[in-house]
Amino acid sequence: KVTEATGNTALPGVGVIIKGTARGSATDFDGNYTIDNVKTGDVLVFSFVGFNSKEITVGNNTTINVALTESTETLDEIVLIGYGTTTVKDATGSVSAVTEKDFNKGNIVTPASLITGRVAGVNVTSDGAPGGGSTIRIRGGASLGASNDPLIVIDGLPISNSTVGGSTSVLASINPNDIESFSVLKDASSTAIYGSRASNGVIIITTKKGKQTFQVDVNFKTSYQTLANKIDVFSADEYRSLIADRVAAGQTGISIDQLGNANTDWQDEIYQQKLTFDQNISLSGALLENMPARLSFGNTQQPGLRKTSKFERTSVTLNLNPTFFDESLKVNLNANVSSEKNRFADGVEGSALYFDPTQPVYDETSPFGGFFEYHTAGEPNNAPRNPVASLMQRNNSGIVDRVFGNLEFDYKFNFLPELRAVLNLGYDRSTGSGSNILSDQSINGFRTAINTPFLGSASYYTSERKNTLLDAYFVYNKELGNVNVEATAGYSYQKFEGEDFNTGNTIDPDAVSDVNTHPDVVLIGFFGRTNLSFFDKYLLTLSYRRDGTSRFNKDNRWGNFPAAAIAWKINEEDFLKNSNVISTLKLRLGWGITGQQDIPASYAYLGRHVTGDAVSQYIFGNTPIIVGIPQSRFEDIKWEETTTYNAAFDFGLFNDKINGSLEVYLKESKDLLANVAVADGSNFSNAGWQNIGQFTSKGIEFSIGADVVANDNFNWNLNYNVNVNRTQIDQLAFGQDIEVGGIAGGTGSRIQLHREGFSPYSYYVYKQLYDVNGAPIEGAYADINQDGLINSSDKYIYKKPNADFTMGLQSSMNYKNFDLSFNLRASIGNYMYNNLNSERAQYNKLQEVTALANVPVSVLESNFVETSNVLISDYFIENASFLKMDNVTFGYTFNKFNKGLSSIYLWGGVQNVFTITNYSGLDPEIFGGIDNTIYPRARTFMMGANLKF
Amino acid sequence: CTNDLDVIPKDDDEFLSEDFYANPNSYKQALAGIYGNLSLTGTSGSGSSNLQGIDAGTSQYARTLWYLQDLAADEPIWSYENDEGGAVKEIQRNTWGPNNTILLGFFSRAMYTVALTNDFLRQSSPEALEARGHTSKVGNDIVAYRAEARLLRALAYYHLMDLFGKAAFVTENDPVGVYQGPQYNRAQLFDFIESELLDIEGDLVAPQQNEYARADKAVAWTILAKIYLNANVYIGQDKNTECITYTKKVIGGGFSLASDYGLNFLADNDFNEAGKNEIIFPLVCDGIVTQNYGATTVIINGEVGSLESNTAELGAQGWGGALRVRKQFSNKFLNGDVPLTDDRNTLITAGRTADIVDVGDRDSGFIITKFKNVTSTGEAGPDPTFVDTDFPMFRLADIYLMYAEAVVRGGAGGSMTDAVNYVNLLRNRAHSATISASSLTLPFLIDERSRELYWEGHRRQDLIRFGLYTGGNYNWAFKGGSASGIALPSHLNVYPIPANNMAANPNLTQNPGY
Repeated sequence: KVTEATGNTALPGVGVIIKGTARGSATDFDGNYTIDNVKTGDVLVFSFVGFNSKEITVGNNTTINVALTESTETLDEIVLIGYGTTTVKDATGSVSAVTEKDFNKGNIVTPASLITGRVAGVNVTSDGAPGGGSTIRIRGGASLGASNDPLIVIDGLPISNSTVGGSTSVLASINPNDIESFSVLKDASSTAIYGSRASNGVIIITTKKGKQTFQVDVNFKTSYQTLANKIDVFSADEYRSLIADRVAAGQTGISIDQLGNANTDWQDEIYQQKLTFDQNISLSGALLENMPARLSFGNTQQPGLRKTSKFERTSVTLNLNPTFFDESLKVNLNANVSSEKNRFADGVEGSALYFDPTQPVYDETSPFGGFFEYHTAGEPNNAPRNPVASLMQRNNSGIVDRVFGNLEFDYKFNFLPELRAVLNLGYDRSTGSGSNILSDQSINGFRTAINTPFLGSASYYTSERKNTLLDAYFVYNKELGNVNVEATAGYSYQKFEGEDFNTGNTIDPDAVSDVNTHPDVVLIGFFGRTNLSFFDKYLLTLSYRRDGTSRFNKDNRWGNFPAAAIAWKINEEDFLKNSNVISTLKLRLGWGITGQQDIPASYAYLGRHVTGDAVSQYIFGNTPIIVGIPQSRFEDIKWEETTTYNAAFDFGLFNDKINGSLEVYLKESKDLLANVAVADGSNFSNAGWQNIGQFTSKGIEFSIGADVVANDNFNWNLNYNVNVNRTQIDQLAFGQDIEVGGIAGGTGSRIQLHREGFSPYSYYVYKQLYDVNGAPIEGAYADINQDGLINSSDKYIYKKPNADFTMGLQSSMNYKNFDLSFNLRASIGNYMYNNLNSERAQYNKLQEVTALANVPVSVLESNFVETSNVLISDYFIENASFLKMDNVTFGYTFNKFNKGLSSIYLWGGVQNVFTITNYSGLDPEIFGGIDNTIYPRARTFMMGANLKF
Repeated sequence: CTNDLDVIPKDDDEFLSEDFYANPNSYKQALAGIYGNLSLTGTSGSGSSNLQGIDAGTSQYARTLWYLQDLAADEPIWSYENDEGGAVKEIQRNTWGPNNTILLGFFSRAMYTVALTNDFLRQSSPEALEARGHTSKVGNDIVAYRAEARLLRALAYYHLMDLFGKAAFVTENDPVGVYQGPQYNRAQLFDFIESELLDIEGDLVAPQQNEYARADKAVAWTILAKIYLNANVYIGQDKNTECITYTKKVIGGGFSLASDYGLNFLADNDFNEAGKNEIIFPLVCDGIVTQNYGATTVIINGEVGSLESNTAELGAQGWGGALRVRKQFSNKFLNGDVPLTDDRNTLITAGRTADIVDVGDRDSGFIITKFKNVTSTGEAGPDPTFVDTDFPMFRLADIYLMYAEAVVRGGAGGSMTDAVNYVNLLRNRAHSATISASSLTLPFLIDERSRELYWEGHRRQDLIRFGLYTGGNYNWAFKGGSASGIALPSHLNVYPIPANNMAANPNLTQNPGY
């Protein structure tokens, strides 16, 4: 019998052969094997992927039990790079691989959460909504106005970042259980092979493949989601005394007569705490003797924290990996079919916060479906609307079917075995449909005029996104003495299409439906790369890509993206070869140019006219005329270019028990694509997509991992990473500031600014003045320009939303069959604009037109009265540095079973365990740095089981 | 197959310009686009905008014009002072600077009309028509279309000249893209507007003969009358005689007063008597097909009081007391020389104080109900938010008062008798007391213009012409910032060039004092 040394689990499929012969066998499901005709003195070789091989000389025993130890040689891991693979040892660029065993555990519903906090320089900000997407930033992004999303490539197919209607996010339809590894390419020397789309880094996702041995894997998971935190507003009783106090203090417009008799915590009323379920079965094994195959079925049901919201996904994945012609042709088929069902819930946090806590949720006499609403004989007052009714009376649901995958042919030429030809065909199509229906009992419904009944609303939509890919390339690989040459050259074609249809509100007789067909986006590239290795010590990578995009005119559409990198394996030199301390030491230097063309404008260079829709007509006489409007035209827009320099040391100590790397990078983007002002009168808008300015991002990444304890019974592994990043705008067209960062509290108000010499999205605010006791003086600001007048010319830049430091720490330990792991994540130096307090924490907000309204308790500290006096004050810019424990899980493995079942793993855990922060709002982690309520992230208690057969 | 990189529009609402103009009917659609810029902010509903860097509604032509002409003066006050990051507050308290986004909104919106007109003139030139084989199909219509487009461009430059004193000058002969037009000062703009309007006069349709909402000769004459009346402000010369000439042309154009003052401001002011006879140039609004957060939508929703349940009377859901009036305005009715029963007095005073101490307190200050989204037969417009009421940019009553003023200011070619008569026509219609020639003075006229024309986008211009805007001769509530009002420095007679617009076109220089 063959078992795994640490867990004593049976190992099926282990190859056992008699050394020097072709005779052998393999272990069965229970790890048992038999070999006939074995002589004393024969040597049995036991080998299994991922384990150290073992040789045993046969003595007199007829039963030989063997325990294999898992291979610790992690540095030999294969990592994916663009159009090929390399090993960690031979990598010349900045590539971080995260494989299944290092994935985050816990309540992972969408793929990006698997690597949150795992990789230095990669920040993943998740959304709290069920099945919600994540914002991923690698080294802070490289663009000001164009996309900062990394390119995501699944099994060789780059996917679009455009979400289909009805879906929560582009990765939501992918079952995390089917993912084998992430490969994160961070520097230009590794990404430049993707040319025009590589400036923000590349994430290559590989799905699990079939295996020769038969294995069944079953996962069950259930979790209970709870509300982790609430925003501090006045409770009903506190509110009653507050109103009494304010009336006594002379505030007009409010009266204690307006108070109700109920005690309602509106935040409790809009949330639900529910169970989520996730199950997954995968079968893998060889079909027709020699075709490794994997079939996986997954189902996830996740009700959201917000009442009525829900995410459900069913996915089926098939991987076939047959070989033909004596293994000279390898075929990989990855086919994924998934169906995603969503029910979306409106963000009613705002009204839950300010709805009067002394009013009830329900009111029997209400004409609005039994929900309490402010009205006069059925006619609404200008007052807040019941947030529970808003949720319960709307059904906004979507279904998305997605088919995606690729078919890859990898042919090795018989006459020249060093040469392979690879053809990869990719296809990704999502079709969504849905409806958004509001009850006719809702006070928010459509009606034809005032004093007429509410009619609700009902709109229906369909949506489609399609992406087709053809890649063809040759790979030549040959060892010539001490030189190893690998060369790749190829062609890539990809096309993106999309269409949306919406009926408009079908209850409204005047509404019209519209089909919106997106312009095609076509990208064509020619690429080449060579990897040279001398004496297995000195490595050189050169790559080049020439890319064309449909976004620019003929003269500007082609861009050239070269890159080069060298690496020196210092530990292979004689002076280190025999070191007991330093087992790995590698120096890497890389340079490259990457491009950016991902802007919303698909063909800004073309002269176009757009006709207005049905509600945007003009009337001549008695006849509505559909207007025809010329569109802005920028004939000269071209690629944004980012030049990246990267220098790194990879190190391993004590036989790589401790290993890590230190990287320094500098990214300079020029010809930034941004939507900026144009001289008025010369174009058909006051702004448009132009190449403006320069931008720098620089930083240091350090990561270290160690087997702190490693022995037969107890193992403890720690990993830590930190990234210091700084981005700065070096130049903007005409030196002109760009105001950004829309906020709540006044139509069109903004709080952030792009300005030369500062971090992008810096806060642009008035400088608050304080009295002798340190209390803020309402409406009193510093006269920054000293002109005796306080106006928008007195705003100044104060802090920024981007963190200076981000770090992650992962710990995993196991003692015998017990295991325990947790993750910590920290972000330091990031600031937040507390828009909730700035908009609502003022005494005048106690009156919401005709009704009373609640306010955040922070009003007691500031004593602010009028929003317009304080909205843009730096008083509301808060330090939002944080330390979070994302999850902790513990488990136990049972593995003494009879036939069939080989192991059972039971586990439990907590997700979103705690947050340590000085930030006063709900959650310091909000992408963009403006806190105007978010879908709260649940605290989740989980348990699960994994069965292997 | 690198040819696949040449993509073209696939949507049914988007065309290559050549394909768009392949249809001769497109010229009227493009003309509607230029007119549409006076009401619409974008091509896909009230929230869409062809402009950027500003909220769609706060860049609407008539609304920003109304902010800059009326909110910046002594009539209305806006309750939500934090809108546009406080830009509204700066406007109504006269504390604006070059970074004010409402200034950006109007400047860019008016220049957008210039760009649209230039494109239309290029696309409809005789050569372009000939090349497309459209010459015979578009016939004589195209002559009037082109004249109207040029009129709208002149109108935009008139507003820019009035508000900013300068603008970048761009014509159909300049390239599309990032061209930076030269700066034209007030005198240059004055000359351009005058010569342009005189040049197109012959091509425009005769007064009242065009389709409703399309400009005719009378609109050109009105703009000319306006620039002549204000010529002393613009170019330091009196042109009251020319003003009389052109007001007389308008009056002789067949217009007449509606029987009731209020008809000018109702949901059916496109088809009732006022629309037919009194309104010279309307900006069209329609609750169904021309939705926008423009002047009349803002005014009518803003009129709905915080205390009053007057949504039914106004025909709009309302915004909870967004607009009120300053005491100096309400006094023109309450302490003025008209009886309280004057039809033009739409003040609601019950339960309210005349004084506003705290702008955020929506229960203080009187409110008005001049504009309504109900028809003359009492029916509410078809949408609770987007009103049907057209904005009367120019109407005959204004022409009467301009005529009277030009006569009082010493212009030749008119008569005092006619002047008094015109003023009394207005007062008779309002069921107010008539005046005699001795009462027809400049101080009377500035107040009478307020009573007749309040909230119609004329007030700042009028006060400047009368020397009452800056300085301390006439202080109103919140003038200069404080509740009681303070004197303003004279550089506030023009607005600063918005910082963004100036940065994008270095030919523009900032106005003195900013």
